[in-house]
Amino acid sequence: MATQAQAAAPGGLKQHFSNWRLALVIAIVAIPGSVFLFPLETAFWVSFGAVILVTATVVTRAWGRRPGPLLVAPALATLLVMNIFPLLWSLGLSFFHFRANRLSPPRFAGLNYFEKVISDPNVWDRLQTTAIVVVLTVGIQLIVGFLLALMFEREFPGRRILLMLVLTPMMLSFVAVGAFFRYYYEPTFGLLSQAVRLVTGEPYILLASPEGAIAGIVFADAWMWSPFVMLLVLAGLVSVPKYLYEAAEIDRASWWRRFRTITLPYIRGLLLLALLFRTIEAFKLFDVVFLITEGGPGTSTETIAVYLYRVSFQYFKTAESSALAYILIFIVIVLTNLYLYFVQQREKEEEAPA
Amino acid sequence: MRDTERREPGSGPEPEAHLRLEGVGKRFGSIVALDGLDLEVRHGEFYCLLGASAAGKTTALRVISGLETPGGGRVVFDGEEIAGVPSPDRGIAMVFQTFALYPHLSVFENLAYPLREARTPGPEIRARVAEMAEMLRIGHVLQRKPETASGGEQQRIAIGRALIRRPRLLLLDEPLTNLDAKLRHDMRAEFKRLHRELGTTMLYATPDELEALGMGERIGVLRDGRIVQTGSPDELYEHPVDTYVGQMVGSPKMNLAPAQRGEGLTVATSFADVSGGPWTGTLADLPQQAGLLLGFRPTDIRPAGGAPRGPRFPARVHLTEPLGDVTVVDLDIAEDMYRMVLPESEAVGFRPGDRLDVEIAVEQTHLFHRDTGAAIGRDVAPPSGAAAA
Repeated sequence: MATQAQAAAPGGLKQHFSNWRLALVIAIVAIPGSVFLFPLETAFWVSFGAVILVTATVVTRAWGRRPGPLLVAPALATLLVMNIFPLLWSLGLSFFHFRANRLSPPRFAGLNYFEKVISDPNVWDRLQTTAIVVVLTVGIQLIVGFLLALMFEREFPGRRILLMLVLTPMMLSFVAVGAFFRYYYEPTFGLLSQAVRLVTGEPYILLASPEGAIAGIVFADAWMWSPFVMLLVLAGLVSVPKYLYEAAEIDRASWWRRFRTITLPYIRGLLLLALLFRTIEAFKLFDVVFLITEGGPGTSTETIAVYLYRVSFQYFKTAESSALAYILIFIVIVLTNLYLYFVQQREKEEEAPA
Repeated sequence: MRDTERREPGSGPEPEAHLRLEGVGKRFGSIVALDGLDLEVRHGEFYCLLGASAAGKTTALRVISGLETPGGGRVVFDGEEIAGVPSPDRGIAMVFQTFALYPHLSVFENLAYPLREARTPGPEIRARVAEMAEMLRIGHVLQRKPETASGGEQQRIAIGRALIRRPRLLLLDEPLTNLDAKLRHDMRAEFKRLHRELGTTMLYATPDELEALGMGERIGVLRDGRIVQTGSPDELYEHPVDTYVGQMVGSPKMNLAPAQRGEGLTVATSFADVSGGPWTGTLADLPQQAGLLLGFRPTDIRPAGGAPRGPRFPARVHLTEPLGDVTVVDLDIAEDMYRMVLPESEAVGFRPGDRLDVEIAVEQTHLFHRDTGAAIGRDVAPPSGAAAA
């Protein structure tokens, strides 16, 4: 057994091998050995013990020398297991014929699925839907968030409480927001429908038309994330030195001019950051859509993320969905880098003499 | 091409006062910043508002510029009450202590800023910026961002931005505080030159009496939100109305010796009986034993010798502080410390512990009430002009 082996280790070996090397040697010998010699159940426990032994010696040694990396190790391990491994695994799957609900082993397919995804008119249709939603929701979020920030920049009675209320949507879970808006838009007893009925006498089914459904989703998402933009912009606004405004007042600058030459330069960077974050997030928009419309009516609100979900977990076209997912991540990376490129160009322009 | 803002000399009768504050008050919560401030600035004058920190200088300038609304009183500018007039319409420019340059605009744009809103045509803007840049010697930084300019250049940019619109009145809020000592000296000369060349009325707030004495044509000493004394540098120096002004103006500051009225028309200090000062005339009105303070400037006490100018008494050298051309000598006189300023050549050889006889120039002494600090006896000369303090 591993523990006995450790106890039996001759002291002389320590001079040639540090402890962890000895433990490693023991493990390398013990694990295959036990598989040959013992029944599988026993072999499992022997191997398990050997692994524990190696880990323990490595950790002890590292703790004595450089504890830093050790403290990061759990996080890194989690990241590796939960994020990086699945990422690479799905990349691998996208090159094989494979369906997660079938037992047949994967067969190599090359770029077959990438070609299929790119030539799929459904994908282009969903991307179009996504683009419409992204442009609308991000645009509204930026405008509303910005106006809210302008409002909250100043002190007024009840500001703290109002600020708290305005920030609440951001703190809610997607599911709660989705469920909330689903009932809000509900035809018979939803608030919206009832309000319209007071005027027209007819129930109003917002989600019945493709345009209405998109509007409903955009409204819900913008409602949830405008406060985020507001927070970023507000941080920029309060960082503007007050004396600049005073100087501008004495210099006879109009409100618009003050805003353009003083306020905007201070918040431009944060606004662009908000734009980046919100665009990426909106591109992945899933929860709210899935909860409110499930992509309907028809497929008119099916964003690319919802479509991806359907392909992978309803049609179980695992390989195809992996390929699609990789194409999406590629798009996001390209967009992000384009953004960073523009930001850097802009900074360079500002550095350089005009 | 002249701006309409600037009144042409000789265009109609000039109002007696350019800017007048009457009983202006301002409170921030429980803090009284201005307490019935009366102030008068004349046309084309370089007026210094001298006061320690928190005396209300900045608040006074902010009220005049319109950044603060006064809590009471009147602000009259060119014969017009301006309390309700928004800052941009006042024709008053201001240089901030922090410079307040727009960090994201080039120096050129900073200078052009006040002109842009007035829809000044482009060629004129360029001409005026160029003119201003030449006058302030900042032509080489025009295309850069303000933060890349040196401290002195930033200061000049701030001045240029204030002057480019040709204001009727220029307010300067401790403009030299953020500069190092050497630059400060250069900029003082710069301000005087600008004032001479432009003739713009300037109201200059400073905690530094050297700046005030060096630049101000008239100085108003501000204390606790009100003007204590107004006058030319000489008047303030020669006739301080109280110990505060006496000690504020002049460096090193005036010595104050605790005293009381002695026999006859003398003032008895712990080291000598002093008589024959300019205050003698009113001494008779004071009760015997009245608590007094005898003030004499460090330059008015010197080693005894030659024709006597006042009482002589022994002193001990406590410390010498050579400052180049002059030496400040701390004297221990009857257990109290006083300062003496001597030309460097006369102070050579003084060591701590040395004993010597000193004398005060009696005609130069000042007498104050010990309780109130108010000056006694010496007719406080009416400050030049009608504006009696």
